[in-house]
Amino acid sequence: MTDFLFDVIATELEDAVGRENCSTRTIDKIAHSVDYFWLSRMWADRGLRMPEGDFIVAPKDAKETSAVLKIANYYKIPVTTWGAGGGTQGGAIPVCGGIVLDTKRMNKIYDVNEQGMYIECGTGAIYKHIEWAANEKGYATMHYPSSLTCSTVGGFLAHRGIGVSSTKYGKIDDMVLQMEVVLPNGDIIETSPAPKHAAGPDLNQIFIGSEGTLGVMTKAQMRIYEQPESRQFRGFLFHNMTDAFNAGRELLQKFKPSVMRLYDEAETASLIKKIVGVEKKGAFMNIAIEGVKEMADLEMKILLETFAKYGAEDLGSEYGEKWWKEKITFFYPGHMMDIPQCFGTMDTIAPYDKIEKIYWAMKEAIETNFPQAKFIAHFSHWYEWGCMIYDRFIVDGKDVPKDPHEAFRLHQAIWNCGVRTALANGGVVNDHHGVGIKLGRLMKEQYGPAMQVFEGLKKTLDPNGIMNPFKLGL
Amino acid sequence: MQFTKKAIEHIEACRFCWMCHHVCPIGNATGLERNTARARALGLSLVAREATALESDIVDNLYECALCGGCMTDCVTGWDPVMFTKEARLGAALEGNMPEYVGKLIDNIEATGNIYGEKEIPEILKSAIRDLPPKADVLFFIGKDGAYRTADKSAAAVDLLKRAGVDLTVHKYEPDSGYALDFLIGAAEETRSAMAKTAEILNETGASTIVCYDPADAKVFLREYKEYGIDIKANVVTFTSFIAGLIKDGRLDVKKSDTAFTPQETPLLARDLEETESVRAILNSLGSIKEMLLHGKDTVLAGNLIMNEYIPSVMKAVAERRMENAKNVGAKVIVTVSPAEYRSLSDNNDTDIEIITLEEAVLRCL
Repeated sequence: MTDFLFDVIATELEDAVGRENCSTRTIDKIAHSVDYFWLSRMWADRGLRMPEGDFIVAPKDAKETSAVLKIANYYKIPVTTWGAGGGTQGGAIPVCGGIVLDTKRMNKIYDVNEQGMYIECGTGAIYKHIEWAANEKGYATMHYPSSLTCSTVGGFLAHRGIGVSSTKYGKIDDMVLQMEVVLPNGDIIETSPAPKHAAGPDLNQIFIGSEGTLGVMTKAQMRIYEQPESRQFRGFLFHNMTDAFNAGRELLQKFKPSVMRLYDEAETASLIKKIVGVEKKGAFMNIAIEGVKEMADLEMKILLETFAKYGAEDLGSEYGEKWWKEKITFFYPGHMMDIPQCFGTMDTIAPYDKIEKIYWAMKEAIETNFPQAKFIAHFSHWYEWGCMIYDRFIVDGKDVPKDPHEAFRLHQAIWNCGVRTALANGGVVNDHHGVGIKLGRLMKEQYGPAMQVFEGLKKTLDPNGIMNPFKLGL
Repeated sequence: MQFTKKAIEHIEACRFCWMCHHVCPIGNATGLERNTARARALGLSLVAREATALESDIVDNLYECALCGGCMTDCVTGWDPVMFTKEARLGAALEGNMPEYVGKLIDNIEATGNIYGEKEIPEILKSAIRDLPPKADVLFFIGKDGAYRTADKSAAAVDLLKRAGVDLTVHKYEPDSGYALDFLIGAAEETRSAMAKTAEILNETGASTIVCYDPADAKVFLREYKEYGIDIKANVVTFTSFIAGLIKDGRLDVKKSDTAFTPQETPLLARDLEETESVRAILNSLGSIKEMLLHGKDTVLAGNLIMNEYIPSVMKAVAERRMENAKNVGAKVIVTVSPAEYRSLSDNNDTDIEIITLEEAVLRCL
């Protein structure tokens, strides 16, 4: 691009969003070039600059977003949507340069609607801020992921996020009522006023998880809930994972706890021991039950009876309460894996008839093919029909090549091995972090000819291919 | 740019950590990704790795931080973005990369003792302190924001102390505490030497207690002076704790009203000085308290008049956002405890919420 054309585009973007909201400054480019993706962090750690946007643009609403997309389409410039940059899959990295569309100016909380039990907000709102807005009125969002404080409403929607209380309250895709979306051509649309209907396919679910490849979500109505009268915790130690899966499945045929988290023996002996203080060997499981006290008391009785049948040792409430208090501490520097380690979380999901097999197959595949890697896991989101594995590989810093290109290769090879093993055994590419650029190549392997449905949507909605190129395998 | 080992350690921890993204009052007001501890640390880490030069916009970004410590307080693992930001400001200054707008403020301090370049305190304050004795047991330290930006409120504070019968004086040529210099260039030689001169002047007064009207001044007297080995002989206390003591001792006979007060405590008081109880004790004696959701050590900055000099639109947004917090909980009367926050909130209040200072609240209930 010539300097002259660059200035033409810059001034048009400034006209669309205001000069102060369109930046070509170094600090803004850097800030939007590294997300939580290990490769971007490694790259920066090695003193290399990640791909950067040419224009960092922050529209205040759908109208300004529409204007930006029209400009981008005319000049055929890539547009990468950026929420708060807390994604792990490289979904927000502007790999092709162009425009980075930061949504955080669209952070207005329009309405805390106590009648409809939702908050209407811009998708650039940090989720913790809408939690605060709900708390101010005595409610809660019940969406409590570790990234609660550092991800936007739009970021969670774009990557199908999930919080720790998911078993009772659902994933982010269960928590949204209606959305406003700006299509790549600049048209502003609204999804149906209610999320359950028979008026054709669900428009919400077309854009949720689309990672900025099909448009930009600009406004959303997110559910709020009454604060529970009672929230009770119970920690258990299982002799083995099979017993724990069976106990969990049986429990879920009876009622839904809010939190269900099972840690494998390796993670119980490392993270859980360090943060929560469980010293014994086994597989630690934490359960939270909440709601009206009378019902919670009854559910606790059922929980104790059910888990006793599977030989679970009742550890009381102390560890569970400590876990709840420290649930985000796990992710702070010093507790979490960090550079110079090479690491990743290969979350996958499957029905109960496959999940344990996937776990053991992935563990064996990673540890056999990459003896330098440790494999630890917990199972943090449970349904009546199955659950997800939050499985991580960790390679010590001393075993990670210093050369960034070689470190890159090692990282990709481990991911290919792990996710392909999951797919071969009936798992899904990802459960709740999304696909981004990290897993795009594996989407085709999972979906095969079904991928043409996504490709058809992409081609129709974004014929110039400007929206977040090379993400989601599109 | 050279950093200490300690600063490097904190920069490396923060550069890839997003956990405090939600607490930055500046980032929340601007919606800009660069206004986060993470982005600031990432930029500095790339400078340290020579992946980028210390460009002027990276330096500007250092000055977009209010040093309010929200990020640090929120960090369960104790990383300190305030520390490395201050160190980087000093580093930029030492390497001749200080922004022009900062240089202008420092020039003003050198010429007049305050960032505003003001030479005369307003008449309302002059007349309030005119009849005070030259020497007294208590030295009331008004500070620069109080003297030049909320002179009428400072005069009210003097009036309140008089009504409590406090043996009181105000220094005729009150020196600069050094808060602004410390904010702008950190532990530079200029800062230390200005603070040392101030300590000398204060020690000469012979006062046994210094009551700081502005928590910013109390903060440097009680923290940075000690850190830099500068000795103030008198007992330094905040205005809020002093007034709380006067009420407790019955020297201010207040009557409880039916007003619900909403305290807005500056982070300088609640976090740097860890003082959260005295303002509540005072307000409880005057009426009831209606808290904002984020209060006490989790308080949110509502204004900084130094930053207001170079990024007024951002500081306006910061104040408006805090007013929104107050509105959301149904606040009727906000009580401020810092001149900067009073000025910022009252200048940017388009709600029907009343904003008053602590001394005004007490005076109403005498």
